[in-house]
Amino acid sequence: MDYARPALADALAQQYAAGTLRGGARRRYEALLPGHPLLREALQAWQLRLMPLTGVLAPQAPPARLWQGIERRLWPSAAAAPQAGWQRLALWRGVSALASVAALGLALLLVLPGPAQPPVVVVLQGTGGAARAADGFVASVSADGRALVTRPLLPVSLEADRVLELWSVPPEGAPRSLGLIAADGATVIDRRRLPARLLKGGTAALAVSVEPPGGSPTGVPTGPVIYAGKLQL
Amino acid sequence: MKPTALPDWPERSRELAALLARSALGDRTAFARLYDRTSGHLFAVVLRVQRDRALAEDLLQEVYVSVWRAAAGFDAARAQPLTWLTSIARNRAIDSLRRQQTQPQLLSTTRADDADDADAPDHVAQAVAEEPGPLELLDRASDARQLTQCMNGLSATQRQSLALAFYDGLSHAEVADHLRQPLGTVKSWLRRALQSLRQCLDQATARDVAAAGN
Repeated sequence: MDYARPALADALAQQYAAGTLRGGARRRYEALLPGHPLLREALQAWQLRLMPLTGVLAPQAPPARLWQGIERRLWPSAAAAPQAGWQRLALWRGVSALASVAALGLALLLVLPGPAQPPVVVVLQGTGGAARAADGFVASVSADGRALVTRPLLPVSLEADRVLELWSVPPEGAPRSLGLIAADGATVIDRRRLPARLLKGGTAALAVSVEPPGGSPTGVPTGPVIYAGKLQL
Repeated sequence: MKPTALPDWPERSRELAALLARSALGDRTAFARLYDRTSGHLFAVVLRVQRDRALAEDLLQEVYVSVWRAAAGFDAARAQPLTWLTSIARNRAIDSLRRQQTQPQLLSTTRADDADDADAPDHVAQAVAEEPGPLELLDRASDARQLTQCMNGLSATQRQSLALAFYDGLSHAEVADHLRQPLGTVKSWLRRALQSLRQCLDQATARDVAAAGN
C-alpha cells in the first residue's frame, strides 16, 4: 500500500485514534508510524480532534504504590531517599563515558591562547532523539564565566525550517535562552546574554532545543530538547 | 453537579508543557509533578477501556515509563501535552484489549431499532448508572465549546456508535454486535460520524484562527 497517499493516511489515523483499528492492521500501523512522517501528522491531527472527548471522564486516583513502581522501574539503583531534582539525574550518568570526547573538545578549544585557568567544559549529550545518541555538543565556559563557545561533535542535520537554541537551566525555575547556535560549527555566545552567576550556581545545566527560525517564540523551549549536559565544577 | 468537558484543556497544557520540558532534561521532581497533575485523568482513560483494574494499573505504569523516556521527543510547538499524554494512555489501553478474549462490560444496553431515523431519541439504559454510559459521556463532552455544535450535526445512530467505540473501546464488530446491526452499516455510521466531526471541528478552528488574527 502507498502510505504516502493522504486519503489513506487520514483514514488509518481516524480509525486508530477512534480506537476501531484492531488486530493485525493496528500492529502494522503502529510499526509503520516511526518511519512515516505523513502518517504521524495525520494521526496527530486526529488525536487533537478526539482526545478532548476524554475530558469528561471523572479522574480516578491511582493507588500510591503505582508511582513507587514507576520510580523503581525508571531508577532501580536509586535509594528510597528522595532525590534533589538536578543533583542526580539519570541523564548525566553517561557523561563520564564521553570523557574522552570531552577531552577532544577541550583540546580543540584550547588551541586559542587562553587565561591561566582552563575553561570548564560541558558535554551536551543526545537526549534520546532519533539517531542522535552518539553525537553531542561541547560547550566551553571560560574560567571567569564570561565567555561561552559551543561546538557540535558532528554536524547536526536539521529540517530546513528549524534552528538550534541554547538554554541555561537554573537549579529552579524556567530555562533562560542564551541565543541561537550553529548546527555545523562553533558559536561564540554573546557575553551580554550570559547569566552573571553562570559558574557560581546560577546554571545547573545547559540544553539545546529545536526551534522555529528566529528561536523560541515563547521564551521557553518549545521544540524537543535534543542535547543536555550538567555543569560540573 | 454535572461534570463538563475540561474547559481549561489548553491552559493546563501550558503548565504541562513546562513540566515535560524539564522532564526531558532529566528533572525527576518535574516528572513527579507531571504525574501528580495527570495520573488521575490518564488512569480514568485507561480504566474506561481496560476494565481489569490490576491490568489497568500495570498499563498506567508502562505509560509513565514511556512518557519519561519519550519526553525529549515531545514537540510543544506541534502537539498539546494533554492530548499527547492521553493518546499514549488510550492507545496502550486499546492495545491491551487485543489479546483479551473477554468482552468488555457494557454499561448501556442501547438497541438501535430506530437505526436509520436520525431524529430518534437516544435510548440509554440508566438503571445501572453507577457511572455514566458512553453516550452520556459524549453528551457531556459536547459541553466543550467547539464540540457542541459539531456533535449536534451527528445523527443519533452516529453518536451511539461513536460513543461505544471511543469511550468503551469497542471494535467495529463489537459495536455492530451491540447495536444488532450489520458490520458494514456500523462501519459506515462511524466513518461518516468522524468525517462530519472533522469537517465541523476544522471549520471551527479555522474561524478561531481568523478571529484571533483580527
